[in-house]
Amino acid sequence: MATIAVPLGGQAEGHQADAVQRPALSEYLRWSVDHKIIGVQYGVASFLFFIIGGAMAMLIRLELWTPELDVMVSGAAYNSLFTMHGTVMIFLFIIPMWAAFGNFVVPLQLGAKDMAFPWLNAFAFWLIPPAAIVVLLGYFVTPAEAGWTSYPPLSTLFSGDGQTLWALGAHLLGISSIMGSINFIVTIFNMRPPQMTLWRMPLLCWAVLATSIIAVMATPFLAGALTLLLLDRVAGTTFFDAAGGGDVLLWQNIFWFYSHPAVYIMVLPGMGVLSEVLSVHSRKPVFGYRMVGLSSMGIAFVGFTVWAHHMFTSLQPELRIPFMITTMIIAVPTGIKMFSWLGTIWGGKIRFTSAMLFALGFMSMFVIGGITGVMLAALPFDIHVHDTYFVVSHFHFVLFGGSVFAIYAALYHWFPKITGRMMNERLGRIHFAFTYFGFLFTFFPMHIVGMLGMPRRVAVYDEAFANWNQLISFSAFVLGFSTFIVIYNIIRSYYRGPVAGANPWRALTLEWATTSPPPVTNFADDPIPFEDPYGYGTEASVAYLNAVEAAFDGRENRTILD
Amino acid sequence: MMTSYVDRQEKPKIGLDRDAALRLKNNRLGMTIFQASWIMVFFAIIVVNWQLRFSYVQWPPAGVAPFDLLLPSIATLALLLSALLARRGWAGLRRGRLGEFLASWRLAIFLGVGFMAIIVYEFATVSEAALATQYGITLRLMTGFHFVHALAILAVMLHVYRGAGAGAYRGGEHDAWAIEGAAKLWYFVAVAWILFYVVLYWIR
Repeated sequence: MATIAVPLGGQAEGHQADAVQRPALSEYLRWSVDHKIIGVQYGVASFLFFIIGGAMAMLIRLELWTPELDVMVSGAAYNSLFTMHGTVMIFLFIIPMWAAFGNFVVPLQLGAKDMAFPWLNAFAFWLIPPAAIVVLLGYFVTPAEAGWTSYPPLSTLFSGDGQTLWALGAHLLGISSIMGSINFIVTIFNMRPPQMTLWRMPLLCWAVLATSIIAVMATPFLAGALTLLLLDRVAGTTFFDAAGGGDVLLWQNIFWFYSHPAVYIMVLPGMGVLSEVLSVHSRKPVFGYRMVGLSSMGIAFVGFTVWAHHMFTSLQPELRIPFMITTMIIAVPTGIKMFSWLGTIWGGKIRFTSAMLFALGFMSMFVIGGITGVMLAALPFDIHVHDTYFVVSHFHFVLFGGSVFAIYAALYHWFPKITGRMMNERLGRIHFAFTYFGFLFTFFPMHIVGMLGMPRRVAVYDEAFANWNQLISFSAFVLGFSTFIVIYNIIRSYYRGPVAGANPWRALTLEWATTSPPPVTNFADDPIPFEDPYGYGTEASVAYLNAVEAAFDGRENRTILD
Repeated sequence: MMTSYVDRQEKPKIGLDRDAALRLKNNRLGMTIFQASWIMVFFAIIVVNWQLRFSYVQWPPAGVAPFDLLLPSIATLALLLSALLARRGWAGLRRGRLGEFLASWRLAIFLGVGFMAIIVYEFATVSEAALATQYGITLRLMTGFHFVHALAILAVMLHVYRGAGAGAYRGGEHDAWAIEGAAKLWYFVAVAWILFYVVLYWIR
């Protein structure tokens, strides 16, 4: 094997054989401008909201165990419950959870010492707890009952003060999201090392860039809509009241102009995670790297042209076909990613780690969510299953089968970097099995009951759907149980997991070319990235990885056959 | 032999050390993205105006007199002049002319206050007939929403102006960021207002 000189830059200096202490837990409870601390703060807070939103989901499924109303005191109470479930999961769990991984990983992948605006970064995070308190407080006042979409007149004439608090909280969360996204865009454009051109940037960074562009351009529309909603609720205006010259469809247009792109805010980072995990754990370069990066941008762009498919049943007939077409077009860049992932793992040396299992789980589930998305884009079918459980199934396949599986993949992949410890792989596989099958049997049967006509957002339903709902509820409880496994694994691994070392997965991106956890300034000096972030299987990459291991962990060199 | 690694260091800009140059670059890009982002709220409100006007057979609705153009046009001119003066002052400070900066910004702030006074008058004097329709309600929404932004950013300008008067800025690119940032925010106010002005007063 040829001798290859690997200029690691300053990555190794000062860190060799020195274990970096993990921050004290109290550090995470304080104001900090360190992107790694903020990343963990986002992650832990979001996971807590996941547990809260998940508990609400369990209550929903308990209520639906029988066709009668037996857990909730009224249909209105059930409405409030699913309203809060959706709100918590979308605004307080998935979106901030991606900010967690983005914050921790992106500056490291770029070889930066921190984000472009550290203070703004901390401020964006610390807006979330008060926003969450305001939103959750609303549930205990006179709760919002209009669903997470908050359509007027349900959200203006038929919801209590909780709806006002909901809108205030969502406003704060939107501001937080915009500030965080500005930070990501500036960091990605300005903080890369000179050797890292855009076309040598890790695909997670591409995905976060596309996500952030969506967030900064779409979230202000939500801010506009929420301002009008608040004015209608507290200042007596009539923007959404036809009796006062207003228009209820106005809300739907503005809300979905944000909220459909928001689906990609929730999914695109997961797609970036997938490109990272699949490549590393199958030891193969990403297939069609440039097309994957461009497809993220394509999704971001086309995502702004599809919002009215959420309004097919209320839309002017002449606008239905154009929106049907744009909705179907968005399957193209998504399909490019799917082909890329298949091409990436094809013929690879696949290691079925927990991260890899969840990434593969994402692929299988997201394909189903994508196909049902194309089905729903077809106008006649959409009208047939409008407001049924088919729609509930579709968006859970996208947002749980997509986002949550990717979040778990990211957790297992980067936990060693964040904490310096490996997660327990056996528990990880058990967690995957419970999650995969729990999820599949919860949400796949919803397609069937939906097509049979079971409406969504009801606590009382036809006796004919009882057996299906018992299967769904039982599976949902299995899915709920799976969360305890990962919580146990996280806590156990944090204290007793094997020491990870700098680069346990032998990955080529820069976050693995520093200690685990990284020091305060991430790198001792300006790091020099490897020429190709996914260039596995070459002598150069093996030499680079050996140099990293020798520098940080003192291990002996391996060959390309390892 | 590895040839694909490129070991070059970013050259610092003349007159600025590398970190300061990066900070300035970050601030400028961040400001541009913020402006592009936040203008979307104003676009959202224009969409509101647009959709609501199609709820009516005619615009302004029957029995409602159109808004008078004179005062808003004077206010618009005052705001544009104010933005130009803010730019002139910022450019002056970059050349180290503090006096030029202070004189320009004094006038810019004065014109900004004049603009806001007219907008407050417009807000307060919407007729009862107009307020019974979305024609009047959207005027209040748009002028009120814009006023909040103008007030906040004018306060920033005033703060920067007082700081400059107290000698906080020596001039030059580096420490004039506060002034550059405030000026750019004031341009934002001007651009947002022109959008609203055209939609409110010209497109019928």
